[in-house]
Amino acid sequence: MKRRDFIKVGAGAISTLAVGEMILLSPDADAGIMDWFRTTPKLYGTRKSYRRASGKGRISNDYSKATIVKGVCLNCSTVCGIQGYVIDGKLVKVGGNPEDPNNGKSLCAKGQSGPTINDYPERLLYPMKRVGKRGEGLWKRITWDEAYNEIAPRIRKAMDEGKPEEVAIQIGRSRIAEEMNRFLGAIGSPSLFNHRALCSSNKRAANYVCLGETDWETGDFANAKYILNFGSNFYEAHQGAIHTAKRIIRGRYDNGAKLVTLDVRCSNTAGRSDEWLCPNPGSDGAVALAMGNAIIAANKHDKQWLDTWSNVGSDELASWIRAYTPEWGEKVSGIPAETIRRVALEFAAAAPRSIAFTNRGSGAHYNGFNADRSIILLNAIVGSIGKVGGYCYGEEPTRVPPRVFPQPKPEPPRVTATSLIENPPEWPLANKWQRMKVGQIVYQGLKEGRGKVQVYFSYTVATPQTWPEGRSLTVEVLSDERLIPFHVCSDIVYSEQAHYADLILPDASYMERWGFDTRNNMELRDYVTLRQPMVQPPAECVSFVDSMIEIAKRVGPDTAKYFPFKNHEEWMKIRCEGLTKRVGEDGFEYMKKHGVWQDMTKPQYYDLYAWELTEAQMKDTRTDERGNVYRKAADGKESIVGLMVDGKPRRGFATPSRKFAVYHKDVEDAAKQVGFTEDGGKGMPTYFAVPSIEKMTNEMLHLVTFKWNVHTQGRTQSQKYLSEIVHHNPMWINTDTAKKLGIKSGDKVELTTYRPHGHQMKNGGEVVGKAEITAFVTEGIHPRVLAISNTLGNLFHGRAATAKKGKRQQVPGWIESLDNEDQDLVEDIWWDPKNGGTGAGYNVNAILPIQPAPLVGMQGWYDTVCTVKKV
Amino acid sequence: MSQPRTANPRWKLALDVERCIGCHACSVACKVENHVPLARFRTKVYYWEHGKFPAVKRNFLPTLCMQCEDTPCLKACDNKAIERGADGIVRVIPDKCDHLGACETACPYAAIGCDENDVADKCDFCSHRLDANMEPACVETCPAEVFHFGDANHPQSPYSLFMAKHGDKTAVLKPEEKTFPSVVYKGHEKAMESKIPKGKVHDPYSYEIETWTQLESQFPKKNRVIWAKVEQTVPGAKK
Repeated sequence: MKRRDFIKVGAGAISTLAVGEMILLSPDADAGIMDWFRTTPKLYGTRKSYRRASGKGRISNDYSKATIVKGVCLNCSTVCGIQGYVIDGKLVKVGGNPEDPNNGKSLCAKGQSGPTINDYPERLLYPMKRVGKRGEGLWKRITWDEAYNEIAPRIRKAMDEGKPEEVAIQIGRSRIAEEMNRFLGAIGSPSLFNHRALCSSNKRAANYVCLGETDWETGDFANAKYILNFGSNFYEAHQGAIHTAKRIIRGRYDNGAKLVTLDVRCSNTAGRSDEWLCPNPGSDGAVALAMGNAIIAANKHDKQWLDTWSNVGSDELASWIRAYTPEWGEKVSGIPAETIRRVALEFAAAAPRSIAFTNRGSGAHYNGFNADRSIILLNAIVGSIGKVGGYCYGEEPTRVPPRVFPQPKPEPPRVTATSLIENPPEWPLANKWQRMKVGQIVYQGLKEGRGKVQVYFSYTVATPQTWPEGRSLTVEVLSDERLIPFHVCSDIVYSEQAHYADLILPDASYMERWGFDTRNNMELRDYVTLRQPMVQPPAECVSFVDSMIEIAKRVGPDTAKYFPFKNHEEWMKIRCEGLTKRVGEDGFEYMKKHGVWQDMTKPQYYDLYAWELTEAQMKDTRTDERGNVYRKAADGKESIVGLMVDGKPRRGFATPSRKFAVYHKDVEDAAKQVGFTEDGGKGMPTYFAVPSIEKMTNEMLHLVTFKWNVHTQGRTQSQKYLSEIVHHNPMWINTDTAKKLGIKSGDKVELTTYRPHGHQMKNGGEVVGKAEITAFVTEGIHPRVLAISNTLGNLFHGRAATAKKGKRQQVPGWIESLDNEDQDLVEDIWWDPKNGGTGAGYNVNAILPIQPAPLVGMQGWYDTVCTVKKV
Repeated sequence: MSQPRTANPRWKLALDVERCIGCHACSVACKVENHVPLARFRTKVYYWEHGKFPAVKRNFLPTLCMQCEDTPCLKACDNKAIERGADGIVRVIPDKCDHLGACETACPYAAIGCDENDVADKCDFCSHRLDANMEPACVETCPAEVFHFGDANHPQSPYSLFMAKHGDKTAVLKPEEKTFPSVVYKGHEKAMESKIPKGKVHDPYSYEIETWTQLESQFPKKNRVIWAKVEQTVPGAKK
């Protein structure tokens, strides 16, 4: 008997898979399509269900029958409040939650696409166990009971061996970190491997250094007059994209603000800014310092603010910044000195209604931590920190949910086990302010034996696709059963992560599960949102939190005792009791009804550092002659808790000096500890060059990546309406450069990437990888930069993601499952190469080297150097 | 979101496209709301990139049915399958449509598609949402507050308020077609009007990145970029 006679093939067959049956999931599981077309009705599946009975015209949603259920989007990282419209048990539509202070009724294209996730005919529906070799794609449907009994004893074993840290969870943007920490806390493991270093850790560390309080600023954009954007593409991506974009648009068109964007590529943000400045990659910090120099040289800085609130006063700052002239800035950045000077003085003239802010363009570099500090410093120089229309911030939002919605007791004790992978000593600032970690070194760490795992969970992540060296090192380690003996993947669709798992747990989508979420609120108030199921998950899908609760109950009484509730819903209900007193009604019902709670009892977070300390806060303090307010902690250690300013005790910044920290001793100490001897490690936000960029030869180019407005890195390509808009990601190359190299749009080119030089980097200059890709010639990019989106090039995730139209599977009798089939995917994926379309794009992360920046460990996504030639 | 309206509303729309960020939220909101199949469009956002490095600019133009007062699609349909309501909205009567396609050929705005797979299909300002006191899906979701929609007969509707302030700065697309659209634009790039096909519903190909710098509406196969085919392989996968 041939294997295909008894094994089902293709993700579409999941819907008909019986317990014990096997399925082959591989990208080339294709089938005899013509027979099927001949016998299939003209109209079927969901398309038929939307048609009127006559077959002519489509049925419109009858909103008089709709139930509105509040929730929170998770189709990117922005945390937009949503409301779902449920008609006859089906989620037909999502819109923005009008009560959400950040986005209101607005959503982006990704948010609008939400319901198509629930309906995707290629969703994972049942727990499955690997039966072939790892990565072969051969699976057997099992029961949940069997799945849990595969997992729980393995966790028990690690615990009994005294190696709880060998139980690890690898996450992307999960938004259930509190739940995971409780689960791992019960086990005693610190090993929550996250992706923050691949996202934003330099930016976050920079905000912590300067403000001490939080990792993310809240620019008061709607009230601003001048917005200086260093490398953020908030019109398309960014964290808080819509929240930021909406207010910047109001600032510009309703308030007359000017927007200047620095980016090496003409993003939609750059292309719609009043000015687009195109600096050399990795030079953002130099531009910021040169602007600071220009402002101070012209005596346009806010001396009083600096002398009151900065730990480096105006005179000292002026002498330190003197060397960073606009002419020096021009040499480093390529931006003309006169432009630097002009923009700087415009920025200063608009102060305090001026904001300079950052994102990955400035931060995802070897020197990005100091670059972002230099950019934040610009706001201090003009005194716009905390001001109306300025660079504002609030208390750290992630501390709000545990405070307002306390965790049920008993809570697991503090984890004492350690992991060199979770807390690598080479990057001493990675976990200093929050556990940002250095996610891109996890696989290298496992390979080198820096740490081990016995049980490896993965959730909301596709590391083979989105990690640097994803399809090389990541896949090598994920495939090696000695390095990862047991891999459990919880996912919505069959992903590249799931492909290398041993057990697949079908997850509930963000519209089918529970959770709290929050972020910085543009209205400068604390707030928390609630994710709740708008509909029940299909088939046997179970939210990962519910799975964790069940697993914890099975591991043993020592873990079960921390989960004295039936499921995630009951857990959330208990936590919402904390809200009841504040809102004067049942907290859980309040959250379900509104989807959001906002703390209106405190004033908006303007001038947070100048807030007066209350009498209670002043109790047991002493004030010295410099105006520092001290309090002794329980251990007898005294620290500054406030500052006397204008005769009143004030809160100050949450830094050791209670002042805005230009200099930070902990940074200097950390640099000494790891032997990072650059001046940039001496505590000031000194500019230092990126070594890989310094060593570039003339024929070498920079290679950067970017996000599209309709996609995230990993999870949107299976959504048909998004992939219909963007499905192809050729390599952007500047017109002049392309001409010199004889490259035209559509030409196939070969890219070769090289390993980085610098602190903690190994094998600098060696080839990382080569890729063949197609060129797109454009005016919208720096002449020495190539850009490829970090999205696309999926190998899995079904037909919409892979641009392969046709039937789902070749299983006899599958016509019975036509009900949930989507005719669009069978017939109308017009970008399928079979139609002459472009196909589904390329994955560039495969050839980007792992390059954690010094001290913080942020991935230097935009430091990659390469060579390119026409094939 | 309900909004002020009279007992006899006259629905109109003004788009402040200077604010547009090209995010496609309107298009996707429309497609999900109305189950619009792939390769079919009721709304579409066009991109235009122009200028030489580093003075490069990008403009966007969200398009939809203009709900013309002098209605070419209606006039072209021999089956009388298209009607224009007293509220100004042009609608298809599905049971009368035999997909003859004349409406598509007549439309200067690429706003109506009609082929053998389904009846003629076009934007009706989400009439079913208006019936439920909701805004059209595109209007509601726009993060950039481009869409100012409402009852032109009510002075407090978002449309009327916008027009009172900015009406003198608005214009219709393709005025030379003399169809008297109910949809007007503020701050659009005139040159981009040529990107909207005439006589043919929006072409899916115009999503492709290489069309951003072009002002054509049609892309005959011979003029298209033939993207070199590059195969990706699955590490460790069974062949």
